Amino acid sequence: MAEVEKQVERLLNSKDFVVIGKGIARVDSLEAVTGRLAFTGDLLPSNVLYVRPVRSTVPHALIKDIDFSAAKNIPGIVGIYTWRDIPGINDAGSLIPDRPFLAVDKVRHYGEAMAIIAGERPEAVDEAIGLVRVEYERLPAVFDPVEAMKPDAPKVHDKGNICRHMKIRKGDVEKGFQEADVIIENTYQTEFIDSVPPEPEIGLASPDQDGGITCIGSMQNPFDVRWKVADILGLPQEKVRVIQAATGGGFGPKSDETPIDVCAYAALVAYKTGRSAVSIMTRDEAMVTQAKRHKFIIKNKTGARSDGRLVAWESTLIEDTGAYISKGHLVIVRAIFHCAGPYDIPNVKADGYCVLTNNTFAGSTRGFGAPQAFFAAERQMDELARKLGMDPFELRLKNLLRRGSKTITSAEIEDDGLAMCAEWVYNNSEWVRKRREYEEFNRKTRGPIRKGIGVAMIYHGNTLGPEGEDFAYVDVSVDKDGKVSVRTGLTDFGTGAATGLLMIVAEELGVTLDKVRMERPDTSKVQNPGPTVASRVTAIGGRAAQEAASKIREKLKGVAAEMLGCPSERVVFREGRVYDSENPENKVSFEEVVSQAYRIGLELKETGYYIAPPTKWDEETGQGKPYNQYTYGAEVAEVEVDVETGLVKVVRITCAFDVGRIVNPIGLKDVVHGGTIMGMGQAIMERFIHEDGIVLTDNFSTYWIPTAVDSPEIIYHLIESPGPAGAYGAKAMGEIPVVPPPAAISNAVAHALGVPVKQIPLTPDRVLELVKRAGET
Amino acid sequence: MKIRLQVNGVKHEVELEGHERLIDILREKLGVKSVKEGCGTGECGMCAVLVNGTPMLSCLMLAVQARGKKITTVEGLEEDGKLHPLQKAFIETGAVQCGFCIPGAIIVAKGLIDRKRRPSRDEIRRALRSVLCRCGSYLMFEEAVQMVVEGRVE
Repeated sequence: MAEVEKQVERLLNSKDFVVIGKGIARVDSLEAVTGRLAFTGDLLPSNVLYVRPVRSTVPHALIKDIDFSAAKNIPGIVGIYTWRDIPGINDAGSLIPDRPFLAVDKVRHYGEAMAIIAGERPEAVDEAIGLVRVEYERLPAVFDPVEAMKPDAPKVHDKGNICRHMKIRKGDVEKGFQEADVIIENTYQTEFIDSVPPEPEIGLASPDQDGGITCIGSMQNPFDVRWKVADILGLPQEKVRVIQAATGGGFGPKSDETPIDVCAYAALVAYKTGRSAVSIMTRDEAMVTQAKRHKFIIKNKTGARSDGRLVAWESTLIEDTGAYISKGHLVIVRAIFHCAGPYDIPNVKADGYCVLTNNTFAGSTRGFGAPQAFFAAERQMDELARKLGMDPFELRLKNLLRRGSKTITSAEIEDDGLAMCAEWVYNNSEWVRKRREYEEFNRKTRGPIRKGIGVAMIYHGNTLGPEGEDFAYVDVSVDKDGKVSVRTGLTDFGTGAATGLLMIVAEELGVTLDKVRMERPDTSKVQNPGPTVASRVTAIGGRAAQEAASKIREKLKGVAAEMLGCPSERVVFREGRVYDSENPENKVSFEEVVSQAYRIGLELKETGYYIAPPTKWDEETGQGKPYNQYTYGAEVAEVEVDVETGLVKVVRITCAFDVGRIVNPIGLKDVVHGGTIMGMGQAIMERFIHEDGIVLTDNFSTYWIPTAVDSPEIIYHLIESPGPAGAYGAKAMGEIPVVPPPAAISNAVAHALGVPVKQIPLTPDRVLELVKRAGET
Repeated sequence: MKIRLQVNGVKHEVELEGHERLIDILREKLGVKSVKEGCGTGECGMCAVLVNGTPMLSCLMLAVQARGKKITTVEGLEEDGKLHPLQKAFIETGAVQCGFCIPGAIIVAKGLIDRKRRPSRDEIRRALRSVLCRCGSYLMFEEAVQMVVEGRVE
């Protein structure tokens, strides 16, 4: 078996790529730098109505009365709509129907929509909203997930607040702890994070002549938007058409609830008035309502032998999903499957709870629970190293998941990507020398700066796995001039996925990239390709693109064989030329072959479909194979901590990722940089604050994200250890670089100060507390 | 009231009210769509335009304050149908991810290099600090500006 795998790997590695592996800038870069890239807000018709909801100002209350009388009289107000005006189903939950589109008699979080107001001018709408009087009857509320789990806690919905309990049971954890020489136990905490896509949510809706509605918006999943808008309006699916305009950042929230909301607000008004309507979120509205990264409280208990071998691991994960489940029930699954780090541990017990509170809801966000899980696991490894008196890198190398190791779900690891990442980072970060040097510097210094270096290692179960059916559709067609069009409902919102798909199609058809173009995702033109989430477009969508393009190539091969007078298996498609492999001078152009194909009546339009092998695991024990393959990463962070101001400066990140196959090096550079910087924000800056459920951080003045001066130096390396599920062996990569920084950076800060870090972000107030504690010990 | 202003080399006379923001006049009355609203409170920099050569946030500026001034946006950077070196460098370095902040970032960079021919890396970063890029292209922005400063782009 191992021999066969090696052969497959060699085969994959030896493939001679023409387009794949070349650095290609985003295909829409030219439009972006000239200002022509059309976002939804750039496409508004002149007579459009502006729509905005009336939002709750309290976190948990019964709505006793809403008085619109003053609001109605504002000049320019065209309509005010409540749940009573919804022709279809009053629900806007993206997966679970637990979230009213417009609140009926109760609000469960601050900022929940209760009514929508449409007007000729945005100022009129805002003025009217200010005049709406809502009479609330306040209900007891709960904002702490640990409190919310108690039986007598206020209930957020009718059922209990624990909406999922997920378990891992591997080996015998009690026996494992008995065998341990050292046991440590710590509780870690992370905060809500807002990934704040630069373009706030926007949806534009226009009535069609046949009674349907067309929505244009900023989103990741046009088919989710179509599904909910149609249900809310009580229309059949095909009466609603959704087109994704250029989308200014997604990061998860745009696959979640708020893109549905804005399109549905606009669509309801368009449906009622027969006019085009747009709903544009202000920044504060977006920050209050869009899906956050979940807050987690994670207790880890770890047992090891004195030589560092891990023998037992026990975790309890509590996830605050806010007032609606959104994707919380799936985030807890990813978090628990990754809760013990990328290590080979014989005995594991873990319990994960997805808990409702009256905070604004959390949902899909880049990394999907993994950054929080790895922060807790990798901090724990450093604490263990300290207890054992071992180098933290050495401790990790001793326990690393390698080919043949078993994960905490007892799935067998099939490659050595993680060891390769670890080795590269170990050597290229100069770990040993710097660790020693920084410790010496900190002993001798009289200034305020302390230096630290920390490491984190990750593995990331690829694509949807337990989160849903992992399929994709991509259509490819070639027109009679030889121009290639790619059409899919999979989207790009800054990820570079479209560029990757075009490269794959160009590779398969043997044409240059300028011949291939992507059409805008449009639900009326394609079938539902599954969601654009879980870093799956290049890996999974790429397989569908490969299939569609190669079907066309095979059709053309027969035509070319006749033109060249050679057997079809000798026909080669490369860079726009089609030739006989045994006589490359015997050639025709791709266009000539296409034109001949049209002449004989061949249709050059194919749909590619791919579905990843189903993944299975046992609900009671978590044992099984929840993912088809893993992306690996190792990362070293170097920091300078100012013990007087509490400011942390991340100086350098040295990281390696096993991406399976490099499809586009520029795309990967972008993703590595972006994820690293975003992950750094989570580690040291970003803290989304609810105070008794009220959001205090609703703009960039209160919620700080990294700027150009905060960027660390980023040194990265990409390893290609092909996986079985992705196109050409590609692994998921869009989200992954956001995962290690919170762990690596907090380990570096702990190293600099010589005290454990148990909570992120490491904002100056918290760092100063750590400094104080370091002084006391 | 009526004001005159020049946008990307074209003179306009615009009818407006005193409270109207420059960003709205540019986007809605003059069709200059590259100017993006990311926060509306002067925090994100995505609405940056050059006003007589100085980067300004058009969401914080009243249109009337631009009376008689020259406004430049990325729509006005191409010359004879050729991209400005900064535009080329932003493409070449892979600085474009979602693209929403790119016009603002290019405008801020242009403001810098017009003012100072050879800014240091530190000065480039400090200038670019005023534009938030959530896709994290900051180091590519810096590299792109550096390429232009060093004449590595035509």
